[in-house]
Amino acid sequence: MIDILLMILTGIGVALFGFVLQTSIAGVNRKVVARVQKRYGPKWYQEFLDIFKLLSKRSVTHGWIFDFGVIMALGGIIGTAMFMPLTSSFMAFDGYDNFFIFVYLIAVGMLGMAMSASGSGNPLASIGVMRALTTMLAYEVPFMIVVLTIIKITGTSSLSEIGLFQQVAGNSWFFIALPIGGIVAVMALMGMLGKKPFETYIAPAEIASGPMVEYGGKQLGMLFIMHEITVFIEVSLFVHLFLGGAENIVLFIVKYFVVYTALNIISSVYGRFKIDQVVLFFYKWPLIMAITQAFIAIYLGWVI
Amino acid sequence: MTVELLILVALASGILAYFVGRLNKVLGAVVTIVASMFIFIMIGYMMQDINAGTTFNYNAVEYMPDFVTFMVTYLGLFFAILVTFIFAMVSFFNPFFVEKYKYPALYSMLYLFSLAGVLGVFLTDNFMVLFFFFEFIVWSGLFLIPLGKNNKAAISYYAFSTAGSFALLYAIFIMFAQTGSYNLHLGLATVSGTTEGTYVLALLAFAAFAKLGAFPLNVWLPRALGKAPDAITAVFSGGLEKLGAFVAVLALVKLAPIGDIAGTLGGLTEATFLFASQYIVATLGAMTIVFGTLMAIRQDDAKKLLAYSSMSNGGYILVALSLGGTLGLSGGLYHIVAHALASAAAFLAIGAVSRVTGTTKMSELGGMIHKMPVTYMVYLIAIISMAGIPPMGGFISKWLIFQAVIDNGLILIAVAVFFGSIGSFLYVFRPLAALFLGQELPQHRDKAKEAPFFMLLPMLILSGLIVFTGVMPNIFLDFINDVIAELGGTGLLLGDYTITGVNGVLQPTLIASVFGVGVLIAFIIFILLKKSKKVGLMDTYTAGNFIYTEELMHYSLDFYAPLERLYEKHINITKDFYKKLENKVVDFGRMIKYFFFTNKPEITVFWIIVLIGFLLWGEL
Repeated sequence: MIDILLMILTGIGVALFGFVLQTSIAGVNRKVVARVQKRYGPKWYQEFLDIFKLLSKRSVTHGWIFDFGVIMALGGIIGTAMFMPLTSSFMAFDGYDNFFIFVYLIAVGMLGMAMSASGSGNPLASIGVMRALTTMLAYEVPFMIVVLTIIKITGTSSLSEIGLFQQVAGNSWFFIALPIGGIVAVMALMGMLGKKPFETYIAPAEIASGPMVEYGGKQLGMLFIMHEITVFIEVSLFVHLFLGGAENIVLFIVKYFVVYTALNIISSVYGRFKIDQVVLFFYKWPLIMAITQAFIAIYLGWVI
Repeated sequence: MTVELLILVALASGILAYFVGRLNKVLGAVVTIVASMFIFIMIGYMMQDINAGTTFNYNAVEYMPDFVTFMVTYLGLFFAILVTFIFAMVSFFNPFFVEKYKYPALYSMLYLFSLAGVLGVFLTDNFMVLFFFFEFIVWSGLFLIPLGKNNKAAISYYAFSTAGSFALLYAIFIMFAQTGSYNLHLGLATVSGTTEGTYVLALLAFAAFAKLGAFPLNVWLPRALGKAPDAITAVFSGGLEKLGAFVAVLALVKLAPIGDIAGTLGGLTEATFLFASQYIVATLGAMTIVFGTLMAIRQDDAKKLLAYSSMSNGGYILVALSLGGTLGLSGGLYHIVAHALASAAAFLAIGAVSRVTGTTKMSELGGMIHKMPVTYMVYLIAIISMAGIPPMGGFISKWLIFQAVIDNGLILIAVAVFFGSIGSFLYVFRPLAALFLGQELPQHRDKAKEAPFFMLLPMLILSGLIVFTGVMPNIFLDFINDVIAELGGTGLLLGDYTITGVNGVLQPTLIASVFGVGVLIAFIIFILLKKSKKVGLMDTYTAGNFIYTEELMHYSLDFYAPLERLYEKHINITKDFYKKLENKVVDFGRMIKYFFFTNKPEITVFWIIVLIGFLLWGEL
């Protein structure tokens, strides 16, 4: 019993760590992007200030589903983050860091948010949700095909074991071993994080931030926390799957920072796709590349 | 209680329901509740006995030797308990709906007759009995469907079901020719691995496809399910469609085909060892998934949308069963359970809405959550399972199926499987957003109220089970392991709480409890912060416009319009094909009529002489 309690506490610790890490790195990245655009940018802890300010404000609610959805969203995402391994040997629930848990448990949080947004009664929110789901349909399939290749090669779907597999001498990181798949994964990760050019579902100038349009105060603050933890989960997935996991926590943070910053820099020079362009884009080259990579790696056995 | 007695009880109570229904419509429907609950409980007892090892009481009761026999197998019991459970749950809806139909007494009778048919199909070891009851269900369905909106759907249903039944009949004849007996197990075992086996497989697969509504025999499913009475829709999707899955198990698992194509892929390092027929079925299953998903996304009628989702899930079952192996089989069988529960719950929830509003069109509905919160929660839990999200049953089966696909290295089928899985988020969310959430439309605001207790009861039981199948799946997987052992495979490795797949261990209970912990934390954060002020749904950000009509603020028509635009030109392929086929059949009929049935007697006499001449050829 104490064991399980300890595990759960560790899990909560992981989620909290993810939140702090991502929020800090997001703050640093605001400065990085600002420099790309020849601005100064805010202080690195600006994101924390924003969130705590929002949490302290009094807000409005549009009915019980509006609140319940927010709780479900944050709860689902915290639950997912609790399974995330930090290094290839440190995680809260040893042996249960199954890839499919992350892909599907994260969806509970997203469903909660979508539900809450639709429950607000604002059509712009519903349009945003529609676009978010459509984007998800676009990026998820190529990404899953690349991960299928990895799981087929390593014979395990556990993130930490996939990380350890890449650390064995003679095996290179899957980003290098599966170069075509690696590129697909980067594109899919940009879609997951809603970075430009796949930022269609937020589109502030067009649909007033989409799903977020009706939120304020603590609900918005909680959704901000949820967003940061979601980014933590998605970038960590990439680190574990493609960048050889992490032997220790410092390496993890370094890899994490590099991935997130690189994506932000790429994103800061792009415009925005229309939603049907997003779907067409992902179902053209990334999907073809993913299938080619899977075929090459699984049937021909060509892995660098 | 023996099987044949149980079937007699079902038939007798059907007739009883008819006569009681003639006196009092609602009372007739109550008879269906009592009878189907009784049958479900009796099947439950059978399950206890079979687990206790006293199965042979039920084995092979032979009335006319080799003609009418019944037998309880694990496989049959698995399907029987599931489908009778769905029947028992849905029957609670009958009293509330029966008054709307033209022939309420007939409805009650046919409801129980199809239940009798289900028992007959699943609990026999004789192909003739199986075929008889299979047809019995088709026949009951033929009269049940037109009690809803129109009878065109019934014709479509009947045409496809009959084609499936004929295929089944031919398969039976081929096996009878080989063995001289109608015994199911003997017949399938004898033709295994022979050329006849391949024909039998093709014919049985055809029957399974027709019954599951799989591509390319999918046209009837959305029509029939969209137009049938609300309760019948739930029974069809949750129960009767699973007849197709049962036939698919017979065809794909109990029958070993010939034609190994592993050799043709020999040059490749990791070729998978599937048979050609299994590849074909898996490919068609994958097409069913994609086709069903794309069509479900663009429906406006919630029932039709769920009908297409049933089709897509049927595709998952086909893919899983055709891949076979421990993971494929247990994934497929578990998906049957998960989808039966989830789709029955979802259809019942939509049915409850349609009862108070009179429509299932999403563009005419909105904000039902404010009056029907419990129904909403039932629907929510059902769709979480359908989308394969933990902690619901659908996740477990999808996890198993994904592993089977990955383990076999089937890339293109994986594309379809993943596409269907993500696509299911899209379509199941649509009724949630358009029908339950969003603005509360004034035309339903006064009429709408929460469903009565006896309608909520089955929905809540189903929801409870959906959660239970996701949190403690091992109890069900244990039974599925018995089924697989009976089919000659090896079952999944199960721990107390863990499931071991090929590439990972899953602990569903842990996932559920961690999710619970997460929600608890979120709830504590939420409750500790300042209380929010409640505002109306119309009090939203409108970019400075003044809007006072709810309809204008409700986004529900053509929800995925940008996505639909990408493929809307190609949606009528199968429909057009069947339209062309229909025209060809009509043309052929005209030709026959032109040549043989003219109003000139001399032509008829000429053909009669030709016929006689042909028959007497060689005699003269």
